[in-house]
Amino acid sequence: MNIVLLLILSSVIAAAAFLIAFLWATATGQYDDVHTPALRVLFEDEQPDTQSNLNHGT
Amino acid sequence: MQPSSITSDLAPSVPAVCEHCGDAIGPAPVFDDGRAFCCSGCKTVYEILSQHDLCEYYRYDKNAGVTMKRRSEHQDEYAVLDDPAVSKKVLTFASAHFDRVVWTVPSIHCASCVWLLERFDRLEPGVLASTVDILRKRVTIDFDPRRTSLREIAECMASIGYAPLLRLEGEVRPEYRSSRNLYARIGIAGFAAGNTMMMYLAQYFAGSGGVERPLLIAFRFLSVVLSIPVFFYCAFPWFQGARAALRGKKINLDVPVALGIAVLFARSVVDIATGHGEGFLDSFNGLVFFLLIGRLFQQKAFDALSFDRTYRSFFPLSVRLRTAEGFTTVPIERIEIGSLLSVRNGEVIPCDSVLESESGYIDYSFVTGESVPVECTKGETVYAGGRVIGRALDAIAVRAVSHSALAAMWDRSSHADEVRSPDDRGHRYLKLQDAFGQWFTVVAMAVACAGAALWLPDWATAFNIFTAVLIVACPCALTLAAPITLGSAMGRLGTLGIYLKNTGVLLELEAIDEVVFDKTGTLTAPEPQLEFVGPRLAADAWDAISSIASHSTHPVSRTIAMGAIRDGIRTGDGEVSFLEEEIGKGIVGTSRGHRVAIGSQDFIRSRCRTIDLDIPAGSTAVAIDGEFAGVFRLTTTLRPGIRALIESLRKKIPVQLLSGDSDRDRALFVPLFGDENMAFECRPEEKLERVRHEQQRGRSVLMVGDGLNDAGAMKEAAAAIAVTDDTGTLVPACDVIMRAPSLPRLAGLLTYARTMKHVIEVNFIFSILYNAVGISLAMAGKLSPMAAAILMPVSSLTVLAISVTGARTFLRTVV
Repeated sequence: MNIVLLLILSSVIAAAAFLIAFLWATATGQYDDVHTPALRVLFEDEQPDTQSNLNHGT
Repeated sequence: MQPSSITSDLAPSVPAVCEHCGDAIGPAPVFDDGRAFCCSGCKTVYEILSQHDLCEYYRYDKNAGVTMKRRSEHQDEYAVLDDPAVSKKVLTFASAHFDRVVWTVPSIHCASCVWLLERFDRLEPGVLASTVDILRKRVTIDFDPRRTSLREIAECMASIGYAPLLRLEGEVRPEYRSSRNLYARIGIAGFAAGNTMMMYLAQYFAGSGGVERPLLIAFRFLSVVLSIPVFFYCAFPWFQGARAALRGKKINLDVPVALGIAVLFARSVVDIATGHGEGFLDSFNGLVFFLLIGRLFQQKAFDALSFDRTYRSFFPLSVRLRTAEGFTTVPIERIEIGSLLSVRNGEVIPCDSVLESESGYIDYSFVTGESVPVECTKGETVYAGGRVIGRALDAIAVRAVSHSALAAMWDRSSHADEVRSPDDRGHRYLKLQDAFGQWFTVVAMAVACAGAALWLPDWATAFNIFTAVLIVACPCALTLAAPITLGSAMGRLGTLGIYLKNTGVLLELEAIDEVVFDKTGTLTAPEPQLEFVGPRLAADAWDAISSIASHSTHPVSRTIAMGAIRDGIRTGDGEVSFLEEEIGKGIVGTSRGHRVAIGSQDFIRSRCRTIDLDIPAGSTAVAIDGEFAGVFRLTTTLRPGIRALIESLRKKIPVQLLSGDSDRDRALFVPLFGDENMAFECRPEEKLERVRHEQQRGRSVLMVGDGLNDAGAMKEAAAAIAVTDDTGTLVPACDVIMRAPSLPRLAGLLTYARTMKHVIEVNFIFSILYNAVGISLAMAGKLSPMAAAILMPVSSLTVLAISVTGARTFLRTVV
């Protein structure tokens, strides 16, 4: 049965690692603004060709 | 934008909306690069962007731009940022090669804005990085002070339509700390709850399965270890709240909650330590977790809107002083009595002063509500809060900033706050909760004592019964009912353009039995319609009129010029060769070969060949080449949907109109309100008095206004709604911000508030039922940890489900 204890302990420690990761993310402000990053992901990579930038909205 | 009644032949290929801002293009579009713009301002922005290869801006949101038509005209608005005293206040961080500033930019609204502002380094060399927070409309800019300056950055931002908002008291720093703490608490409590539940499963099934006793004991101690941070950190807000209440010799809802939590934890630890049983730690952790979820709902405030702006935030940061050597810019706190101020067009007079210039126009709409500018002459006192229109004015300060009329007005109205703090506007809701808290604590204690007494002298059982009753009587579901219902209602309303200051406001709205409207801008369309009465004029005559009008400093002329630009009548700056202005009377000039006179009745009469003219008094007339051409009339119109709103409100409750304007639009409102329910030319003090009077009669008054001039009355009223066309503008002390197009939903909002109160009451009934079941179990000595572990989360989940679905369903049916 000791193996169960070991199992439980290791799973709690693994979960605690995720908790610490969450706390770190909160403390460094990753939850402060959850809206803007969702928009940023839409932006395409910059195109070096300026002409193609100008020919937008066809 | 209303298309003008004057049409011209449009080529069918011209697009209907401006490439930059998406506004309708009038009959006179501005072309560049094969694209059509509504005005030259928008074209300029397009040119700036295309020069810097930033046209991708237009890809993310079509016509994403900010219209440049309403841009303020004076350029050195940001000159004050060169003053080290000012820039020190504005900067969040400053060093020799790295400065950081956080600015609120009201015009941020879409993905394109984010894209462009985060590429700001390409427009303004010296900017190192910029980050946008779209919800809070904030941009953080890091820059190298050796290569650029705050002023240059602000001016560059303004030039592309993203003018930052300058504040007197420095930027409001992002207040992220409390929400970070809440997230951390939820994380820890959730972690502990999940793990203890898992370990308690083993405890509950220990009887049937072959779980060894040493293992069970190990699980118990592990659960205690997991629960310690929950008790000391996660549950801290309730202990704090309870302590504060008890110190004030009061009992609020935090007291029974804190008591329940404390007893739950203590009894569990005692049980485990003495080997008596497994305790209730899974219930404990789950309870704290649910309570924190309730807090999250409650805290869901709308960061996009700042409710705490005061009159100071629209006061200028600094003012130009005219000295013997020229001009110096000083922060307004350093204005000394006797200083000679120079206030330019569009700037706000910072303190009461005596006019030194010959004459000028001041718009007091912030102070009095009257939107027509006032003409002032030398020696007159001009008051703080007035906005200079037209030519710059020189004035001698007679009072320091904080003692001026506007500040006094503010202080007087805030006097009422000693009785009722404006932040506690949800006091009805708090009262309700506190009343429940008191009642609950007393009943729970009484039942617990009675239960324990029944088992005496068996002290061990009596202790168990006593604690079990207190545990199960913990009004967790009760605590959750109001915040979750109101919190989700608040979130739902936000999607309709109705933003509540806090969750308690809905209960204030529920009790409203009288509505007072402020007319200025609340019920009428934001810009007065310019109507020309007279025979049809040729396009070049129009061009001449607007060109000449734009040279005048008179407010009506400016409205004519601006109106002409807005309606697309004006094609560009017509050249004006001869110009003569008689201040306060009219203006004469020659443009496009026409000699145009714009002015008052007498002014035009003296310049017309025809002597006998029928010009209505008070209107602005126009004469072209010595012939009377027509009259300009400024007309106000109601916003769409207002008529229906007032009618449906009046069916239920009294509705009044208190306006600061003169009664020239009386006719427009008589059919809506009835003559006896209207008052015009109300000074802010009068509005305040009237609202106070109604309140003292036992009415709950809802004040619907828009301007700073209403602030006193808005604070006095039971609830206040500010209607705004642009969430970036100044918002006075209010509980609700409504976007102007949502105003017709007001009647629905009041009904919705009432419905939400019923939802909370249903929740109360459910949670009391659960509590009754729990208490009877506890009294019988049958409250096993397993029963508690089932009962407590189920009651919380029921409340959660009723609240969230209630808020959703009724929103669709009522508002």
